[in-house]
Amino acid sequence: MIALGILPVIFGLCAAICGVVLLVLIFLDFRKTRIDDGISAFHRHIDALSPQARRDSIVRNDNDSNRGQYR
Amino acid sequence: MARDLAIDLGTANTLVYMKGRGIVLNEPSVIAVNRKSGEVLATGHEAWDMIGRTPSYIVAVRPLRGGAITDFDITERMIRLLLQRVGVSRFTRPKVVICVPSAITEVERRAVTDATRRAGASDAQLIEQPMAAAIGANLPIDEPVGNMIIDIGGGTSETAVISLGGVVALEAVRVGSFDIDATIQSYVRREHGVAIGERTAEEIKIHIGSAEPSAQDQSADIRGRDLVSGLPKTVRLTAEEVRFAIEEPVAAIVLSVKRCLSKAPPELAQDFISRGIYLVGGGGMLRGLADRISRETSVPVLMSSQPLEAVVLGAGHCIENYQSLRGMFMGSRR
Repeated sequence: MIALGILPVIFGLCAAICGVVLLVLIFLDFRKTRIDDGISAFHRHIDALSPQARRDSIVRNDNDSNRGQYR
Repeated sequence: MARDLAIDLGTANTLVYMKGRGIVLNEPSVIAVNRKSGEVLATGHEAWDMIGRTPSYIVAVRPLRGGAITDFDITERMIRLLLQRVGVSRFTRPKVVICVPSAITEVERRAVTDATRRAGASDAQLIEQPMAAAIGANLPIDEPVGNMIIDIGGGTSETAVISLGGVVALEAVRVGSFDIDATIQSYVRREHGVAIGERTAEEIKIHIGSAEPSAQDQSADIRGRDLVSGLPKTVRLTAEEVRFAIEEPVAAIVLSVKRCLSKAPPELAQDFISRGIYLVGGGGMLRGLADRISRETSVPVLMSSQPLEAVVLGAGHCIENYQSLRGMFMGSRR
């Protein structure tokens, strides 16, 4: 009878431990995603400043303004 | 649907870049207002022609001084007119990126963004002028090397060291080409007893002004009003006199460049010697200024291929890549 009475406590304890472990795993995954986001955002930022990326907006206008198109 | 815009709201000139189209407007930052009725009579080139030549009830003013808004209401009306002229209506509200001097205060920043939003923008973001200038001058700021840029505008002079897409060192002074014009005006008044207007002072600077002696030094006949008799008078001004007159603002600009160089990390400082310093902005076109800075800093100084448009082109690139370059906007770093 006593052993049977302890079973719900053991199951409850296991469930609580599993819940905590799950939360820790979710937190770690979320943190990893945030780090990855920072890296990819930085790369996007740097790529957007590359000469290739600037070719369209600046070099095109360089030619336009030399011809005095906007005046 | 409105196309997003980048605006270089300069003390001297205003340039507008439209997403996908390039620079669509370039004119002086001047507005003429009827004092009696409060109506706007002219903006840009037309208003510039009116400076110092208007009847008492018309006032032609520059709403920005030292890169900051001095008259909020007039600035808002000027931005509203600018937006209307490039096709923005009540129903099309574009995102706007505005270039401002890095030295402006939090209150001045808010004044610019509020004026732009009230003028019809759905979102107004600010970008520091030296950063925009470096993008527009096509400097390799995406690389881990030291890129130094000097932007000399009408009201401010800013020097920045940029590497890996961010500002490493920055120095700004509220001295620009208008201060150079003002020193010429006061010199002619003090030494020759003749009053001249700001447009004449600017013409003197452009034609015979220089920061370093050269073989092309010339003299010019200046017409103004005699302070004693009140009658028109012509005096002869030499390039040497003008150089002496403008020494104070020129020295202040050179000193700010030196201060920025001293702030730069040593690893980047060596890059300047091999790559040089880039000069942009209308004030940078003063004859001999690049040579003067080069002589005093022992670093080569190169003029950008588009000194007047570099800032708005850089801001235009930010509006073309709005999401990727959001981190560059001044508000996003707070």
